[in-house]
Formats: sequence, structure tokens, C-alpha cells
Amino acid sequence: MEQKDFYTSAELAELMGISRIAVFNKIKKGEIKAQKMGRNFVIFKKDIGDIEFFSSNLFKNAKDWAVSQKEIPGQNYCQNSAIFQARITKMEMLLLKNRNTKKLYSLLTSIAGEIGNNSYDHNLGQWPDIPGIFFGYDLNKKQIVLADRGLGVLQTLKRVKPGLKDHRGALEVAFTEIISGRKPEARGNGLKYVRKVILENPINLVFQTGDAKLKLNSGNPNLSIETADEIIRGCIALITY
Amino acid sequence: MIIELKKFGTTLISRQTGKEAFLAFQSFLGDIKENEKIEVDFKGVLTFSPSWGDEFLTPLLEKYGSRLVLKNTSNLSVKATLEILQVTAGKKFKIEL
Repeated sequence: MEQKDFYTSAELAELMGISRIAVFNKIKKGEIKAQKMGRNFVIFKKDIGDIEFFSSNLFKNAKDWAVSQKEIPGQNYCQNSAIFQARITKMEMLLLKNRNTKKLYSLLTSIAGEIGNNSYDHNLGQWPDIPGIFFGYDLNKKQIVLADRGLGVLQTLKRVKPGLKDHRGALEVAFTEIISGRKPEARGNGLKYVRKVILENPINLVFQTGDAKLKLNSGNPNLSIETADEIIRGCIALITY
Repeated sequence: MIIELKKFGTTLISRQTGKEAFLAFQSFLGDIKENEKIEVDFKGVLTFSPSWGDEFLTPLLEKYGSRLVLKNTSNLSVKATLEILQVTAGKKFKIEL
């Protein structure tokens, strides 16, 4: 089958996770280059760079992958921790050069590192289907997204805390207690560190595992956990600053 | 003895690489004299995290206690990491100002 070299406005809306009207508005404003074809618009793939295109809706892409294994661009997929280390080092350099993040670069890199590396450490040898994580960032939108299709926090922590009943309880423990999902190894300070950094700096986090969605906001010591509509088996995190 | 952390890399964030660094360091342990100070210099480190630190610094703190001295710790991720490691280890690091 011959591959099309363009998207219809409806296809692009679906891919970007926005409405068709929002696509039309972007075309009108000149943000998306399109050509009229009959009564409709088409958008040539050559006119819309992959990076720009996918980074416009990083969180949706990550979520689609985490929930339903929808395909993700290779640039966002880090099959192993060595690939993640190389890509996060690149992000660190970009943050360091960016005038908005000259001060926060090391904290943003370290919390993204903790969340991403947690996925590898806790799922090593036990990935249910696809090993590795989704890692993407958009420095213009000031967001960093990470996701995995691993076991999730509840199943990991149940090994050391068999009494844990639900995702909400597991999330609370993960962000407040010094506990390791890999006992007898001494570990388990990563997410407490993430919480501390967010409390003390202009950074926010949304973190979901199972049906529990945690929101941590800069300067606020409270953990706000709500029930999400969609279930994520592994974890998904959105860091904004 | 002075350990320049930047020689292990400038983005020190995973347990895996922290553990490797600690193993590599083992070969120098024999050179350390009794009562000798172990200075860990953070100069040049861009990002540091509790995972790496827990694999490398926590065992040094356990072993050498106050003989372990940390230098050039002003980087924000270094500072925040040391604070959390002290809580989990239940011991304080000696930091040279």
C-alpha cells in the first residue's frame, strides 16, 4: 500500500489529541502550514517536523502508550537505562543553556532521573510486556513527561507492605515513607526527594499509577490524590515548571 | 585522599552507575591510611541524585564517618540530595564550607 504524504485535518486532530476546530484555528493563525484541497485542508508531512508535531502533545502520547500500547516515536522510547541516561544528559545541557532554567536545571534533571530510573529499578526482569520508558520534554511548554508500562507502584510496594490495599495508599506510602520495593536492598528515598524538591522550588508534578492520580504543587506540603478515569498499569509523570 | 566525582561523570543520577563507581573505588581503598581524611569533591558535577548518592556516599559515610569530608557542595541538586541522604542514613555529612 502506498503511504500518504499528508494528513487530513481530521487525522491531524486525532493524532495531536485536539479538536478539528483547534486544528483549523492553528492553520488560520499560521501555526500549521496547510493547503486547500477541495473543501478541506491537507497538511503535508514534510511541512510538519516530527519533533514539533509530537512534542505538541507529549502527555497524550505518553498516556496512549501507557494505557493502550499505541505506537510512540523512537525519540521518546528509551528501551534501557543507558539510552535514558544519554537522553537525559542531553536534556540537562539544553536546560542549562535555556535562560528559564539556568537555576533549576540540576533539580529538574535529578527529579526526572529519579522517576525514570525508578521505572527501570523496580521492573528489571519483570516488565509485563514492553521494557523501558517513554521520556520526552518540551522546553517551550516547560514540561517533562515520563511513563512506563511496568507493574505500577502498588504491586511493587506490596512485596514489602502486603497490607497495602489500593493505588491511593501505595502512592501515599511511596511519596512519604522511606521504604524500598527491592528489600533487602537499602533504597527508597527517590520519590521523597522528588516531593522535597517540589515543595522548595517552582516545580509541579502530576503522577499517576493505577487509578490514583497525585498532584504535588510548589510550596504545598499536602499530597492531593484523586481517582482518575483511566487506569494506568505502570506509571506516568508530568513535571512542569 | 581526594575523590573528584567529576571523574565518574557529571550527570550522576542512577543507582546502577553509582554502584559501579563505588566498585571501581574499592581498588583504591587499600591506599587509605588510618585516620586519613577522605575528601569527596563535587566540583564540576552538574546533576546529582539520591539514587547515585545512596550507592556511593552512604557506604562511605557508614565506613568512615567524620573522616569523610564533602567539598564544593553548592549545586542545588547536590545540596538537596545530601539533605535527604542524611535523613535516610540517620547520620550527618561533614561538609567543608
